[in-house]
Amino acid sequence: MADSTLAVEFRNIDKAFYGVKANDNVDFQLRKGEVHALLGENGAGKSTLCSILAGLYRPDAGEFLFEGQPTVFKTPKDALAAGVGMVYQHFRLVSNLTVAENLALGHPKLGVNISQAELEEDARQLGEEYGLPVDPAARIWQLSVGEQQRVEILKLLYRQAKILILDEPTAVLTPQEAQQLFKTMRQLAAEGRSVIFVSHKLHEVKQVSDRVTVLRDGTTVGGADTADAEPRDLARMMVGRDLELPTRDANPDIGEATLIVDDLRVAGDRGLEAVQGVSFEVHSGEVLGISGVSGNGQRELAYGIVGLRTPTSGTVTLDGEDVTAMNVADKIDRGVAYVPQSRLGMGLAPGLTTEDNLGLKAYRKPPYSNGPMLAASVFKEKGAEWIDRYDIRGVRPGLPIRLLSGGNLQKALLAREVELNPKVLIARSPTRGLDVGATEAVRNLVLAERAKGTAVLLISEDLDELLALSDRVLVLYEGKVAGRMPADEATPERLGLLMAGHKEEAGT
Amino acid sequence: MTTRRIIVEPRGLASLRLTLGIPAASVLLALIVGAIFLALTGNSPWEVYRQMAKTAFGSARGLSETLISATPLILTGVAAAVAFKMLVWNIGAEGQFIMGAVFAAGAGIALGSGTPALIAIPVVILAGGVGGAFWASVSAVPKVYLGVNEIITTLMLNFIALNFMYYLIFGSSSPWRDPEVSQFPSGRPIPDSGRIPEIFGSQRLDYGFFIAVAFAILAWFLISKTRWGFEVRVVGDSSDTARYAGIAVPRKFLGVFLMSGAFAGLAGSLYVAGPVGALDPRSLDLGLGFTGIIVAALARLNPVAVVPVGILMGALNNAGPSLQSIQVPAATVQMLQGAILIFAVAGEFFIANRLRRPEKKPQVAVAAQGGEA
Repeated sequence: MADSTLAVEFRNIDKAFYGVKANDNVDFQLRKGEVHALLGENGAGKSTLCSILAGLYRPDAGEFLFEGQPTVFKTPKDALAAGVGMVYQHFRLVSNLTVAENLALGHPKLGVNISQAELEEDARQLGEEYGLPVDPAARIWQLSVGEQQRVEILKLLYRQAKILILDEPTAVLTPQEAQQLFKTMRQLAAEGRSVIFVSHKLHEVKQVSDRVTVLRDGTTVGGADTADAEPRDLARMMVGRDLELPTRDANPDIGEATLIVDDLRVAGDRGLEAVQGVSFEVHSGEVLGISGVSGNGQRELAYGIVGLRTPTSGTVTLDGEDVTAMNVADKIDRGVAYVPQSRLGMGLAPGLTTEDNLGLKAYRKPPYSNGPMLAASVFKEKGAEWIDRYDIRGVRPGLPIRLLSGGNLQKALLAREVELNPKVLIARSPTRGLDVGATEAVRNLVLAERAKGTAVLLISEDLDELLALSDRVLVLYEGKVAGRMPADEATPERLGLLMAGHKEEAGT
Repeated sequence: MTTRRIIVEPRGLASLRLTLGIPAASVLLALIVGAIFLALTGNSPWEVYRQMAKTAFGSARGLSETLISATPLILTGVAAAVAFKMLVWNIGAEGQFIMGAVFAAGAGIALGSGTPALIAIPVVILAGGVGGAFWASVSAVPKVYLGVNEIITTLMLNFIALNFMYYLIFGSSSPWRDPEVSQFPSGRPIPDSGRIPEIFGSQRLDYGFFIAVAFAILAWFLISKTRWGFEVRVVGDSSDTARYAGIAVPRKFLGVFLMSGAFAGLAGSLYVAGPVGALDPRSLDLGLGFTGIIVAALARLNPVAVVPVGILMGALNNAGPSLQSIQVPAATVQMLQGAILIFAVAGEFFIANRLRRPEKKPQVAVAAQGGEA
């Protein structure tokens, strides 16, 4: 029965959270020496499956064979001891320690007496061998996100992991960095290791993987040798229907400059300046896309505009009025809508009901409140109206909003912001983590705002989305504008180079 | 073996039956544990519980004393509930209660017997609220503007307030001290015009109990029905979300903190202007502020639910001393209160989560039951 070419086999695996099945009868086979892509939408159960393999979760039911033997990994430590390691989307590194120290941390074979120099030499050699260059003496917080990811992979290689699970590794990388990572993955497979590559990007899956398994709604819906699979078929398998995401129309009805940001400077969390003299205009009826690798000042730029952090210098002008020093409430009054990156951490009050959350921006004024009194009936009526109009599903009376799915949370958040009739809509990564249906709804809402004449500032790391929705694109690198161009002239490659800090020869 | 035996998963929202039933079951289990303890120490649990019930509820006088004991607990309970719900960790209800009593007694004495009751009584009561809020502000202002940990400052200020009260009566010839009693120092009586009247001539129960209930309802109303309360609920749920929605978070925090202190202070004023009648350390140094934390926890931080829980705790406090007549230590009651709190906190888990067996392939179905003690 045991197939010696198989590294891992899952049979009928079930795993539920909060009563919702994340994995339902999942079958999965991983061969030795292959790059195996796990394809599926967010919420399809990819991360759950990987986390079971990595020992983070235990399945509720089903069989798990590791090199032909029925096995249970009780903890990630068990999994690592057996040679299975995972690089999570949120890195697990100690930011005050050096690269070499992070490699040594918790390593089972290292004793008390550790030679710093030897460690660093090992780390350097390993990095060179696998095309993962990184300074072993650097502290983690000094590294870029892409470099931190390399450290995570080196950590696994240092422990001689035979199976490496990479959970959406390209989400934080520029296109060029992703290409380098793909080379490393091929090299690992050639050595007989197995790599699980989690992604929802078809072109990446097509490029790097040997085989692909598609998950949908927690269940395995298909698998194939990548060479034989048509991207179109994979897409249909992944979403269950043909998909055509909305994109902007070519002829925008662009009006006056609604939002003018001039030489804006905003402090970062550590006191360093995160936004260093950024200037741009957003016109009524256009979408200005801001791209950049995460952590290059996007958050602080948004905070500076919406009033969550007072800029240290420069101006923000809205419809001719200087609003730089205004607080959040005054800016809401003047029509600044904001969709933050963190839905439950900032955009919504997770423990309050959907109706309360829908009233979170309008409650200060009639009809939501009369003087000091709240009009509960208005919260109910408006809530019901918007839940219907924006197709927010899963709402049950009295239940906290955090129980809704990501897509419905985002629809609720956008509904509230759009209903403010804003002059400016600032949206950060609005479709991140959403399934295709919700992505479609959110994109349509953003485009509808553009058609209504709202000035839209779209801040996103997802280049496909930026290019689909934006009229113009601006690249942010280390708090400065690294380049700007009409969307028609932008390509992922060109943006990727700018995002990585390369200067363009020709002027912008 | 890859099949799990028992699955723990969060409930979305517990039904009303569970929300009421689980705390009731917690109290029952605490009484059972108490009964085992009593039996092991050679007492008859039945006899002890009968004695307690009789003392607390068995007569008009018992009931009157129970409600008198409950009155300050309701308000210190509300003080803790509104604060904890908004993540303000005010554990200084004890000190704020004392300062409320100091202010109320001071106001009553200063007004003298010449002021009409219609003016004197409200002034005395409100002075207690001001005193509690003032004492809370000593912790609240550094917390909001400098980030000083309020758990530590409120806790420490409890002892300062307590010793301040002892100083006023025992350590000085302050206006609070009765000059006519020279043997053993005691508080100067508040003139009758400043005292809350009793309801029935025959029992000690005064209108303070109903005032406390009215304040509990007011607290619920402020939080559930007003714009201010909505903002406070958002802050309590997520302060980042509140800032994002344009709510001035520090001001809300300060407001809730002072309100919490004011409720604790009102407990003090109702107590001195009601049954006690003077700043009497022996009657006030009973840990009523700390018991308020237990009351709030049992009431699941709901200001209205604080009322019945306060009455239950008041009944236990009232019944305690009577146990000595049947040779059982009065401290038994404190043990029972502690047991109730432990079971109530444990019960929270079952309100928030449900246990179930896997739906299929249950190879070994062994149900892990909670210990029946």
